[in-house]
Amino acid sequence: MTTDATSRPQHIEEILSGLDRYNPETVSTFQDYVQSQCENRTYDNMANLALLKLYQFNPHLTRDETITNILVKALTVFPSPDFSLCLHLLPPNSLIEPPIDSFAEAVQKLHTLSNALEEADYPHFWATLDSDDLYADLVADCSGFEELVRLRIAMAVAQAFREISRDTLESYLNATGEFFDGFVKNICQWTLDGDKVKIPLNKENEAITTVTREVVKIEQFSRVFKRAYEQPC
Amino acid sequence: MLSGQRTNGGNMHDYDDDVDDEVLASTIVEALQDDGEYDDIEPRSGSLQLSGDDIQQRLASAAQPLEFQATLGARFASYDNYCSLFHFILNSDGPVDLELPTYYWAWDVIDEFIYQFNSFCIHRNNVARKGQNEEEKQLLRDNPQTWGCYSVLNVLYSLIQRSQMNEQLAAIKRGEDPNEVAGEYGSRQLYRMLGYFSIIGLLRVHCLLGDFTLALKTLDDIELNKKAVFARVMAAHFTTYYYVGFSYMMMRRYADAIKAFSHILVYVSRTKNLGKNAQFDSITKKNDQMYALIAICVALCPTRLDDTIHATLREKYGDQFQRMQRGGLDTLPIFEQLFNSACPKFISPIPPDFDKPENNIDPAQHHLACFMSDVKNAMLGPTLKSFLKLYTTQDLHKLAGLIDLKPEDLRRQLLVYKQRSRQTRWSEGGLLEGDIVNTSDLDFALEGDLIHISEAKTGRKLVDWYLRNLARTY
Repeated sequence: MTTDATSRPQHIEEILSGLDRYNPETVSTFQDYVQSQCENRTYDNMANLALLKLYQFNPHLTRDETITNILVKALTVFPSPDFSLCLHLLPPNSLIEPPIDSFAEAVQKLHTLSNALEEADYPHFWATLDSDDLYADLVADCSGFEELVRLRIAMAVAQAFREISRDTLESYLNATGEFFDGFVKNICQWTLDGDKVKIPLNKENEAITTVTREVVKIEQFSRVFKRAYEQPC
Repeated sequence: MLSGQRTNGGNMHDYDDDVDDEVLASTIVEALQDDGEYDDIEPRSGSLQLSGDDIQQRLASAAQPLEFQATLGARFASYDNYCSLFHFILNSDGPVDLELPTYYWAWDVIDEFIYQFNSFCIHRNNVARKGQNEEEKQLLRDNPQTWGCYSVLNVLYSLIQRSQMNEQLAAIKRGEDPNEVAGEYGSRQLYRMLGYFSIIGLLRVHCLLGDFTLALKTLDDIELNKKAVFARVMAAHFTTYYYVGFSYMMMRRYADAIKAFSHILVYVSRTKNLGKNAQFDSITKKNDQMYALIAICVALCPTRLDDTIHATLREKYGDQFQRMQRGGLDTLPIFEQLFNSACPKFISPIPPDFDKPENNIDPAQHHLACFMSDVKNAMLGPTLKSFLKLYTTQDLHKLAGLIDLKPEDLRRQLLVYKQRSRQTRWSEGGLLEGDIVNTSDLDFALEGDLIHISEAKTGRKLVDWYLRNLARTY
């Protein structure tokens, strides 16, 4: 699950489980919570969706910056559908092209990033992120954004690869040289072998052919047996 | 039971412009009867002075569908009626002592209440967008609170709280006696049923607003199975699974969505075979919508369907289904078309901007755009799968040549395929719970540029077939 309920503070939990989640006065509490998620690298999708819903109901309370921060946080948990679930709660005109205001423009920029991640076009993701100062501004509040996304990309790679060429992985992770070596060895615990990176076997990259056989239980035949007793030929 | 379901079926609404003639006819008749009543009820007055005879009539009329083409005046009056009725039920001194006209009455009331709310919001948005009728525009502008989202949610939550429904359901789940926590209100049939169906109502409203997570969370205390209370009212059973399935689909939990849709479609098809009853005619539309949704889900997450469903699906959407399964970007319009025909009529919780018609985008368009960007990524999946199926190992470059892709694009597509096949799937607990599992029968791993392909084969399932045929012989 992407919702980390264990780190959720008590007061947020109380708001979420009661009707206060509709109370416009809780907006500032939720906003502070988003802020703290950005600073402390935690993530709580349920609370963020609740805040987006409050904005949906009370557009005059909307703080664009908080919304973009929520979207940026959702990017850091790809490939979960959280980004898309957040989009659904935004004003219907925010995806209209060309963007009608600076907020819509920001949303669409983040949507582009999200698409790049969803399409597994990681080099494109990093290139886009670097292409415009606006991106830097958008992700600035989210501490360790690049690091978090890099970790997620590494997880996606570990699902599909047992061995990957260094060049490709470098472009995926947007990392080179010693930094790349350190990341791969220390954080991912993978081994470097010349220009190849070896990834240990895990549940997802094993790809073992299996045959599931039908499980037959004696109970399934109860009617047949019953019948045999009831009507001996 | 049968007659009950018939009336009930008549209440299932058609949200589209092309209303079933039959439904329309029956709704008009009922609405004509209603019209007389609206005239002599003054809005928001005398709500607590309802006398015995009057209240039974009120109860009955609250469950009656409003005419499809009802005027704004009638819609406003209907809102006031609901307000006074719910106010009476919720805020009298102590619980109201009422006999329910029928056991499915509570469902009908909640269903109709939300339907009217839904169609009012859509109408309001249309008026603001097209802006031809100045009179209606002004009326809507002056009454932003009528059919407000907060008040609708307020009614539903109040009914749930009054009846202590969540506590009661939690007690049932723990195997305890719900009456112990039911309290003064919740032990009465009226409150109990209204409270229960309000939970289903919330599921629906959240879904209409695009909050699919909360929609499913709402059902935390309700166990989805055939023994559930809602299963006793056909329309409720049907509606619940439609919205649960739809929410799962929007959360990209296609396996769970398919399970939900299959469950109810099998149920309906079996019940249908027991005898062609008139009550099912009006459900047909929602039924078709669910077939469209299941087609979308199966195209995105290939799954073996129940034989009956598969056959009906081919009958109803054969051509589209086949093309969607083949994949490719040219099938996107089919996804769009089916989604549009089968999604709920989304609404926006706030009144539209009457002064700037261009700012009022149809919420359905927004949700479609979000959904389609999810779908777009998966379009090469079927092609990829059909090629991978042929080999146990294959070189990436060679395969790229065969599919006519650049090697790096193929690598990308393989990663997408991998991610897409990992879905959260429910196993126990609340509807939002689940474990991430591999939903595809085909898996692979890349060793440099060498693709290792594996298949999860299912042995033939014979027992069912054997038993079925055996049963025929006796």
